[in-house]
Amino acid sequence: MRACLSFLFAGTMLMAQTIDRTKPPETPPIPSFRMPPVHETRLPNGLTVVLVEDARFPLVSVRLSFQAGSKFDPHDLPGLSSMVAGLLTQGTTTRSFRQLAEELTSIGASLNGHTNPDVLTISGGVLAENTTKLLDLLADVTLNANFPENEVALRRQNAKQNLLAQRSQPAFLANEKFDALVYGSHPYGVFSTTTEALDRMDRDSIVRFRDAFFVPNNAVLLLLGQLPPREETLQLVRDRFSLWKEKTVPAAPPKDFPASKRQLVLVDRPGSVQADIHIGRLALTRTDPDYYPLVVGNAILGGGASSRLFLDVREKKGLAYDAHSELDRRRDAGVVTAVTQVRNEEVGAGVEAVLDNMSQMAKAPVAAGELTDVKNFISGGFLISLETQASLADQIDLVQTMGLPKDYLQMFTAHVRSVEPDQIQAVARKYLDPAQATIVVVGDAAHIQQSLEKFGPVQVDKAK
Amino acid sequence: MKCIFLLLILFCAVLQAAQPMIPIEKYTLKNGMRVILSRDNAIPVVSVYMIYDVGARVEEKGRTGFAHLFEHMMFEGSANVPKGMHFKLVESNGGTLNGSTHPDYTDYFEVLPSNKLAVALWLESDRMRSLAITKENLDNQKEAVKQERRLSFDNRPYSTAIVDRWPELAFHNWQNSHSLIGSFEDLNSSSVEDVAKFFKTYYAPDNAVLVIVGDIQIPEAKKLVEQYFGDIPAQPKPAKPDLSEPANAAPRTDVYHDAHARVPGVIIGYPAPPRRSRDYFALGLLDVLLTGGPSSRFQLNLVKGKESLIQYQAEIGWPFASSSDYKDPGDYAMFLLFKPNFTPEQIVEQAQDEIAKIQKDGVDAKELERARTLLRSEQINALQSSLHRAQLLGRYEIFDGKPELINTALDDFLAVTASDIQNAARKYLTPEHRSVLQILPAPAPAAKENH
Repeated sequence: MRACLSFLFAGTMLMAQTIDRTKPPETPPIPSFRMPPVHETRLPNGLTVVLVEDARFPLVSVRLSFQAGSKFDPHDLPGLSSMVAGLLTQGTTTRSFRQLAEELTSIGASLNGHTNPDVLTISGGVLAENTTKLLDLLADVTLNANFPENEVALRRQNAKQNLLAQRSQPAFLANEKFDALVYGSHPYGVFSTTTEALDRMDRDSIVRFRDAFFVPNNAVLLLLGQLPPREETLQLVRDRFSLWKEKTVPAAPPKDFPASKRQLVLVDRPGSVQADIHIGRLALTRTDPDYYPLVVGNAILGGGASSRLFLDVREKKGLAYDAHSELDRRRDAGVVTAVTQVRNEEVGAGVEAVLDNMSQMAKAPVAAGELTDVKNFISGGFLISLETQASLADQIDLVQTMGLPKDYLQMFTAHVRSVEPDQIQAVARKYLDPAQATIVVVGDAAHIQQSLEKFGPVQVDKAK
Repeated sequence: MKCIFLLLILFCAVLQAAQPMIPIEKYTLKNGMRVILSRDNAIPVVSVYMIYDVGARVEEKGRTGFAHLFEHMMFEGSANVPKGMHFKLVESNGGTLNGSTHPDYTDYFEVLPSNKLAVALWLESDRMRSLAITKENLDNQKEAVKQERRLSFDNRPYSTAIVDRWPELAFHNWQNSHSLIGSFEDLNSSSVEDVAKFFKTYYAPDNAVLVIVGDIQIPEAKKLVEQYFGDIPAQPKPAKPDLSEPANAAPRTDVYHDAHARVPGVIIGYPAPPRRSRDYFALGLLDVLLTGGPSSRFQLNLVKGKESLIQYQAEIGWPFASSSDYKDPGDYAMFLLFKPNFTPEQIVEQAQDEIAKIQKDGVDAKELERARTLLRSEQINALQSSLHRAQLLGRYEIFDGKPELINTALDDFLAVTASDIQNAARKYLTPEHRSVLQILPAPAPAAKENH
């Protein structure tokens, strides 16, 4: 009966109301979404266990993360943590690769190891009805991976071929050079493994890395989704991980980074039909007091299709398809970079346009309307990112692994909303000053070097 | 008490079905625009998806890339939306948006906090009603498309071979074989009149489907849709081009020398069965057996085993479509990167051998059951995204007139038997039907600008 009434009511509204098409419709402010409760506990061996109930879909996501990312790679073995991560699912003392693969498929699960500069994570997802079996497999690859010689050799060969393929991508070459310049001799400066390092990575070095870092007090286990009752879930975890022995872990490398300075490096890529431009410098981490002003400032400069770089470089000047800026937020340091790709004859105009937009950020305060718009953009994007279980799991895992305040996700939008124009100008003076910007251009030196010389001395490097 | 009982029943029903049930409400406006609503209040987000029944396969000779160029024009403003404001209004309301051009359709979406629904409907209706077609906008977007081409194709390994060369091998009818991104020459010669004609012909309400999925109230959404779209005039149904391929056309083989590639690759394709035919579903399962998940035959036998492949992808409709938006004529095709100590001929033979094993020996029950579970798991995972649900609903409506396939297509795949798979493999995936494009690393050429 109620449904009928509301239908009639809607019909009446339709007749009575006309709309004003000439202006955007008035809508209420972006709604808030309450994060699901996060239940955190610690086993006696130091393993942090995080449980989050999310009943939207009959799925469960798992993340087992170690402070064992690529910054922990030995100096002569860049790429070792990534090699370890990739090999975890290639065989254990109890299951061959084939058995692991077939068991995973048969329960509708995925399980993969991967690394970033700070963290090595084993990520998995499974149909909720098979959660227990996925935990069996997770425990097996975590505790019993045995890195068979033939799998090590195969992975090494394939990694070399992938490296070769990646080296044909201009963005890879740009990122590699940029990280080396801004992060200096800190391991963050090493963007990728090398053929020589892959040749040196034998089974012993792989096992040593695993043994050093795969300890419970260095790990966080997150389970999120349609979970069994909490105590039952915890017991499933205890049954599989409580015999794992606590141990001291190696310290992270010292946080020494070079001072920022203006420098221009051209990576020569003969045959390039366009130039990839990356401009930026060392900035900050998520726990820095300037973090939220820079998040907002970065979005104004180059976040999305309403940003200044997009509107100026792409829409107004027609120089590029893509023009954006981004924050690389690592645990011990971060970087802000503006990125665009322009055709060879426009390389000078492209670099100039990016530098102009960067310096403008410090010169004038952001107008109130632009600031409100960009805060909405960030807040809405954050809300939308919580739609899938995997991205919610990644966000919660981030809080755990990057040492963030426990209320980071709850407070994120409020912090963004509180940023004032003078704070943005202040961080722009610090981090978007062209006088301190590292400029990396990847392109055909024969065609573009001359146009770059007006920006200062050009160091030309050969693409490896 | 009654309510609780009801809830329990629903909950059980959800658990027993192969996948969660997506609610669907479909109706048609007076002007012929089809509307599909699907409510899900789990999170305050809404996806608005507008799909037009026109794609690159309708393009005429001399106008390659036009459907895509037109898609760019859709973001350049309309009677009440100033130039540049389309992106701005979505993003400043906390949303994301995009558009994309496919062989058989063109689509646009906005994902927004759910109480911003009206903004998306206002924007979509205003450009359907009154797109700003000016020379300035057109010239600007021609440049943007050329930059897109340089960035995404001309400067990248494999892309030109895949997008420009492969369709020329796989198809014999020009409507199917021409470049979707287009030549610079054709882009340059497109006129404002071309844009106006294309707009009037194809961007009419009766040639479009609007899908809204997420945190909505159905009566309120219906009211808004009527207000914004109800009075946009219908247009005559556009003629469909003849896409048919000649019967028994000979397969073709070619070599593409790629200046940006460092690792050799090969594309292998076979003409595929009609959409939603028995063989189509069988090939879907066959594809999972060959290339899906960590226990696929390509992974176990070629990446491991022979240690020849480095990466692989395969799909019905590859590279532009997958099973949900595949439309015949099309191919089942695979793209393989391999180690340089193998020849492309050896790789083609190895892939064909894997298919031959299924043609000869069939598939055992355990392996088939694994493939079914993998397929089910992938589908449920994908359905989490409201945008993905909207895309599926819109595509099933455009292609089949049946959005409810979102709830039953999985069952059609799960019903495939081992002998269906064997029969489809024998009928379609034979060397006699096989086209091949080898992509070999070439030395960097003397730099030349592509104008």
